[in-house]
Amino acid sequence: MMRDPDGVGEEEYPECMDLARFYLRVREGRVVEARFQTYGCGPTIAAASAGTVLAAGQRLEDLAALDAARVDAAVGGLPADRAHAAELVALALRAAARDALRRQGSNGGAHV
Amino acid sequence: MNRRVYLDHNASTPVHPEVLAAMLPYFAEHFGNPSSVHGFGRDARDGMDLARERIARFLGVRAEELVFTSGGTESDNLAVKGVALARGAGHVVTSAVEHHAVLRACQSLEAMGFAVTYVPVDGAGRVDPEAVQRALRPDTILVSIMHANSEVGTLMPVGDIGALTRPRGVVFHVDAVQTFGKLPLDVDALGIDLLSFSGHKIYGPKGVGGLYVRKGTRMVAVQHGGEHERRRRAGTENVPGVVGLGQAVAVRQRDMAEEAGRLAGLRERLWNGLRAAVEAVRLNGHPTERLPGTASLSFRHVESESVVLGLDLEGIAVSAGAACTSGHVEPSHVLTAMGLPLDWAMGTVRCSLGRETTAGDVDYVVERTAALVGRLRAMSPVAS
Repeated sequence: MMRDPDGVGEEEYPECMDLARFYLRVREGRVVEARFQTYGCGPTIAAASAGTVLAAGQRLEDLAALDAARVDAAVGGLPADRAHAAELVALALRAAARDALRRQGSNGGAHV
Repeated sequence: MNRRVYLDHNASTPVHPEVLAAMLPYFAEHFGNPSSVHGFGRDARDGMDLARERIARFLGVRAEELVFTSGGTESDNLAVKGVALARGAGHVVTSAVEHHAVLRACQSLEAMGFAVTYVPVDGAGRVDPEAVQRALRPDTILVSIMHANSEVGTLMPVGDIGALTRPRGVVFHVDAVQTFGKLPLDVDALGIDLLSFSGHKIYGPKGVGGLYVRKGTRMVAVQHGGEHERRRRAGTENVPGVVGLGQAVAVRQRDMAEEAGRLAGLRERLWNGLRAAVEAVRLNGHPTERLPGTASLSFRHVESESVVLGLDLEGIAVSAGAACTSGHVEPSHVLTAMGLPLDWAMGTVRCSLGRETTAGDVDYVVERTAALVGRLRAMSPVAS
């Protein structure tokens, strides 16, 4: 959790009730700190944690276009039947980045 | 290095030193094929016969009523399919919480044209004998109900069910893999015709088990070949395994009564410790009719695999009540059949204590589990 986050985003996977939520601290268009909350299995927790490391230092526009493959690489590779963990984290981080961009009133960023 | 605590005895158990010692000569010394006529074969056969006698005495049955198999799964398959195929057609009654070996054997029978009724269970995971009675039909040929559920430990009222099947001439199979060698079993008093058991649940080796087949029960072989096991199950027997199984039974006969009391006490210690340290935790299964060493615990708003992995990192082994594969969660069929709400079922882990579990182990597990659940709940957006 984070006090007065600059961006918050979450994503849920209803089939298994996995949920990841990210809080971003942003300075001059870059993430200086990311924190997560999650409910889910081991791979989801690991991917969410790796996601915060991945997000640190990123420009918001880049984070808003994050793909699951980069999360998968950041956590060291997931088995095929757990790939949803990387997708979940990527979607949640993108949502957080978009939220941060929206709060900044930026016109850039991907509209996905 | 953390201490290691193994609390998954329902999954498997370490081989008892006496069992290992009994088995060893049968690998390289008495190695003959027990079906061989010569002395090497007879040595092996003698070891097997002794084991068979021991187990028969333990169960109060005749030696020739025992068939050795590769384990509980094979015994279950032989019982279910062997009885059904002997009749060719008909109806089978089983419960919704059986081991997959029984459930999938029944499903394979359905594919062959047999009818199967899966009787539901109550919130404690217990089947109601009256529900079994209502399920019986004129064409029912087999009832298969487990003695104890491996996940939550609930004992089924097998005596009441045997009282229904016997007068109707319906064959009654009991998967006793989790109770054989742990709780007393009187197949005559309970009306049991077929009983499955397994070595590696009672400090014996993996890869061996048995099926008690009451004399006169019509059953065909499902594995064909030589004349082994009175033509009920072909294939050279796992001689060291059978010897080990016999020794394991001898040890259990000696230790089982006292062990049951000790384990029940430790399980209470575990449960009392956890519910004092953790909020929103429940113990699943019947309050009194249960396996002494099993504790199925549900932690609300925590995901079971994360608990299992987190405890594994602390050197503690338990098993999960829900599996996540390919983005689909499946709480076990047992928890679902018991009607456990999803947010509890998802957070279920099973602790099964054993011979070497100490009070110190239990206290360590309580402390680490409470800390882990606290961390997971703090991390979780849903546990607020």
